[in-house]
Amino acid sequence: MILYDYVLSASCYKVRLMAALLGVRLDHVAVDFHPGREHRGLAFRALNPAGTIPVLVDGDLVLTESTAMLVYLAHGTAWMGGDTAVAQAQVQGWLAFAARLGASLGMARLHDMLLYAADIAAVRRDGVACLRQMEAHLVERRFAGAIWLVGDGPSIADIACFPSVMLAPDGGVSLDDYPSVRLWTRAVRSLAGFIEMPGIHRLHELKPAPEAV
Amino acid sequence: MTRAWVANGLSRDLPAGVVMHGAWHGQDLAIWRSASGQIAAWKDRCQHRGMRLSHGFVRGETLSCIYHGWVYGTSGACGRIPAHPGLVPPSAIRAEAFACCEKDGVIWVAPAGTEGDVPDLAGLHPVRSLTVEAAGIEAPGLTGMEILQGSVMIAGQTVALGLVLQSLAAGRTAVHALCGGGGDVVAVSRWLEDLRRRLERGVAA
Repeated sequence: MILYDYVLSASCYKVRLMAALLGVRLDHVAVDFHPGREHRGLAFRALNPAGTIPVLVDGDLVLTESTAMLVYLAHGTAWMGGDTAVAQAQVQGWLAFAARLGASLGMARLHDMLLYAADIAAVRRDGVACLRQMEAHLVERRFAGAIWLVGDGPSIADIACFPSVMLAPDGGVSLDDYPSVRLWTRAVRSLAGFIEMPGIHRLHELKPAPEAV
Repeated sequence: MTRAWVANGLSRDLPAGVVMHGAWHGQDLAIWRSASGQIAAWKDRCQHRGMRLSHGFVRGETLSCIYHGWVYGTSGACGRIPAHPGLVPPSAIRAEAFACCEKDGVIWVAPAGTEGDVPDLAGLHPVRSLTVEAAGIEAPGLTGMEILQGSVMIAGQTVALGLVLQSLAAGRTAVHALCGGGGDVVAVSRWLEDLRRRLERGVAA
C-alpha cells in the first residue's frame, strides 16, 4: 500500500497513525505540498482529480478521503467500533464530524502556518463550537465510566478526530478550556503503537527516564 | 481587592500523572499531580529557558520540562539537568511555587503563604468545568461574586447547584460546577450547556 504523504498534514498523519496502531506497513511517497504545491500539479491531478492529500493506493484501488482510508485499513477489526446499528451510526457521525474539524481547526492551522486565505475569526469560532460539542460528549462518556468517543474501546472515530484536535493550538485555538478532551487526547497517545508527528508528541512518561551515559 | 484563593478546575479533571495549565489573576500556572497524588501549582515557567512547564510531563513524583528535560520535584527544587548528569543542581534553581489545595473536589490556588480558608462547598459534588465567553456572566446583582449557590429546576428535579467562577480574561469566565447529592449529572451538564448559550446570547439565565 502506498500513501502519498506530507509530514505536516493532519489528514496524512491520521492514516499513518491508524496504520501504525494496526501494525500495517505503508510505503510512503512524499508530496511537496508546501511550498511546491505538487498536489495541484497535472501529474498529481491525474492520480487524484480533487488535488488533495493524502491518497492511498492499493493495487487498482485509489482512495482520496482520509476517513475512507481508516475504514479500509481497519475493516474487520475492533477499530470499526462495533457492528450494532447504533455503534456504526455513531462512528459515521464522528467521521463526518472530523470533516468539520478539518474545515475549522484545520483551516485555522493552514492559515497560521502556511498562509492560507481564510476568515480566521470565523474558522476559529467554528473550531471552538466543535471542541465544545466534543467536550460535552466526552463529559457524558466519562460520567458513564468511558473515555472513547464510541463504545468501550478506541475506534476509527477517535483516530479521525484526534489530529485536528491535537493540532488546534497551531491555529490559535487553545485546548485549555476542554479538560475531558485533554484526557481523551492522553488516552489516544497512550495506545500501544502510537506514533508522533511534528506538533504532536508522545507521552514521555510512558517510558522510564533515559539513563545517563 | 484581589481575591487570594482562585478556583482552577475540578480534581476529577486532573488525575495522577497529569499536568495542566492554570492561572492566578493573569499569572500563568502549571498545576500537576504526582503519581502518588500530591498536587502542586507553580509559575508556568522553567528556570532554564522559560518554557511553559504545563507543556511538560509527570514521571513519578517529578515534573519535567518538555524542552530540555529539567526535572523538578514536588517541592519545586530542580533535582536533575539531563545535559549535565553529574551535576547536583544548585538549590537556587527551583520552580516558583504557589499554594494549592483541594476541597470538595475543587482545586484552589493562591500565592505561597496565603492565610485563610478556601470557600466551603460542603454537600456539593463536582460535575464539570466550562468556559463562558460573555461579558454578562457577572449579571446585575451578581457582580463581584465568585460563587453562585442555589436551587434550580433541572429536568423536572430540584437540584442544589454551586457555580464557582474563575475570571480568565475580560469577557471569559471558567465556571466550575457542582451539584447536590443525587443530582443527575448528565442533566446538569446539559443544563450548563444551555445556560452558556443563553449567557452568550446576552440572555440572563
